[in-house]
Amino acid sequence: MSTKEKLISHVMKEEPVGSRNKVTVVGVGMVGMASAVSILLKDLCDELALVDVMEDKLKGEAMDLQHGSLFLKTHRIVADKDYSVTANSKVVVVTAGARQQEGESRLNLVQRNVNIFKFIIPNIVKIIFKSCPLCGFPRHRVIGSGTNLDSARFRHLMGEKLHLHPSSCHGWIIGEHGDSSVPVWSGVNVAGVCLQGLNPKMGAEGDAENWKAVHKLVVDGAYEVIKLKGYTSWAIGMSVADLVESILKNLHKVHPVSTLVQGMHGVKDEVFLSVPCVLGNSGLTDVIQMTLKADEEKQLVKSAETLWGVQKELTL
Amino acid sequence: MKFEHAACFLDAGLLSSVVSVCNVCHLYTVNMFPYQKHSSLPPSPSSSILHSSALKMASILQKLITPLFSGPPEPPRNKVTVVGVGQVGMACAVSILLRELVDELALVDVMEDKLKGEMMDLQHGSLFLKTPKIVADKDYSVTANSRIVVVTAGVRQQEGESRLNLVQRNVNIFKHIIPQIVRYSPECIIIVVSNPVDVLTYVTWKLSGLPKHRVIGSGTNLDSARFRFLMADKLGIHASSFNGWILGEHGDTSVPVWSGTNVAGVNLQTLNPDIGTDSDEENWKETHKMVVDSAYEVIKLKGYTNWAIGLSVADLTESLIRNMNRIHPVSTMVQGMYGISDEVYLSLPCVLNNGGVASVVNMTLTEEEVAQLQASASTLWDIQRDLQDV
Repeated sequence: MSTKEKLISHVMKEEPVGSRNKVTVVGVGMVGMASAVSILLKDLCDELALVDVMEDKLKGEAMDLQHGSLFLKTHRIVADKDYSVTANSKVVVVTAGARQQEGESRLNLVQRNVNIFKFIIPNIVKIIFKSCPLCGFPRHRVIGSGTNLDSARFRHLMGEKLHLHPSSCHGWIIGEHGDSSVPVWSGVNVAGVCLQGLNPKMGAEGDAENWKAVHKLVVDGAYEVIKLKGYTSWAIGMSVADLVESILKNLHKVHPVSTLVQGMHGVKDEVFLSVPCVLGNSGLTDVIQMTLKADEEKQLVKSAETLWGVQKELTL
Repeated sequence: MKFEHAACFLDAGLLSSVVSVCNVCHLYTVNMFPYQKHSSLPPSPSSSILHSSALKMASILQKLITPLFSGPPEPPRNKVTVVGVGQVGMACAVSILLRELVDELALVDVMEDKLKGEMMDLQHGSLFLKTPKIVADKDYSVTANSRIVVVTAGVRQQEGESRLNLVQRNVNIFKHIIPQIVRYSPECIIIVVSNPVDVLTYVTWKLSGLPKHRVIGSGTNLDSARFRFLMADKLGIHASSFNGWILGEHGDTSVPVWSGTNVAGVNLQTLNPDIGTDSDEENWKETHKMVVDSAYEVIKLKGYTNWAIGLSVADLTESLIRNMNRIHPVSTMVQGMYGISDEVYLSLPCVLNNGGVASVVNMTLTEEEVAQLQASASTLWDIQRDLQDV
């Protein structure tokens, strides 16, 4: 008899139940690993799968995480370049693709990443949706991390200005995750007190407190970090874990994430933009209808047009 | 006007309205303006925008918030500094932040841009964290009042290189770092992570002048974690349900204490008396070899290791900060134990609490295991006595 047999008697007759809260992260670069570690340290999943094309790096990262198992509550960490390892995932986080170089805008990356996605996405869908190959992927199950991070950066900066914790500072940035994001000044509040009520010029030209500069810092935030350390990882990783938590725990929490906004706020094109959405275990189930000022709506429509301009040039 | 926080930046326009400055560089004004916080780094485009209109910015703040308490702010109660923002340092920092162990985190490094970028990236995630203050500077004044300082700075092993090769290079770096740490946090506990960790923990102890119970090497905490994962995996259980200790040198000559390995109190050596020997049919010894080789293998695959060591450092930090009296295999001064007469640091099971290493557990080791520890001690002493200026 082996040591294991002498020590442990197996008593369960059925097949072991598979994982119930599995998360896959596609791409083990800096963002993928930051997302993975944030998810692991928040004890969100009972199985984590990693996928990438770089096999050695992938295996090394998986081993490094497994060596930390003693300190974690995620029993199974698996990795493979074959997508079969992602089967039964509740959430798949896609971080794969090219990233911005110093000074490069996000929109520049598009066609390169479309080509990468043309390989990745059908593989994910095939494994997750194997029972229904003819169904189109329902739109409530496709979510862009969107302006969840921009809003987090905004709330951090607002917290610094007001000497409060970011979670007590409420402010929403919607629209494009990028240069044309829209800060909804009319909604910015602390304890329900609308700050624009205290300072009607907030966010406009001629504002003595120059709140508009805070939004500019959010837009420039990523560029500045990339210039300093070469990439951003921690903040986006934590923001992804925040979204995954709402989904896996069925929290019905509202997050500014990217969804199909055609028909809302005067947007006519088939584009994805961030608006406040309710996230639960079915995915993105509801959208909060914000009351936007005329100029805020105009900015949103303009964002949509910019994105549509890029999208229609793509070869899909 | 005296600034104790050497790297503090103040907009010149504000000085005339300032009444006094407190010693953690928070200033408060008596007359008109509520109190404001300044970052500890010199101005960059971002901080100037926030601070240059601070005078006028007060109006929303004034209308919104009525201060009830206008004394100087309290110093941090649970501050940790991480020295070195490479892959290991940042993995330690993120693990500590996500475990919600600290109310202030300071980062130090010589590479200023990288340091600032890492600080900003963490600060941008502050909405998701419970650590309200994250600071960074190359000047050690930013580390003042730390309870724990984690030292990860130094050069790391290249592919195939042993940890002992790194010694003299890292000693030279430590001669600059350690005195500054102690200057600003004379009551702190130092956790040394840089390799070769046992030698560098000895070096740190010598350079710092701190009592030996406040200088700890991360030691075989990680080796033991790897061992427990690999053994538990073979048995189909969670690593925390497998008890096993690896002691001695963090490296090629670490000592697995097979006589102590157990699950639910059932001693594995009793079930298999050959366990860990060459005559063992099940070849459990292989598992220890995998632990020794793990770091080399991960380095070969991804270039470095960071996540596991980061998690293991957060585990030690938790025991120290929360005063838990938990036992961890960490590197401590073992002169006088197990017949070791040299002043060396090796890993033994230590009880950790908020004073540092409170006590050492006397393990019952076999003659062979004691001999291995003594051999480790000799190897380390041979290296230590050739070190310059320690």
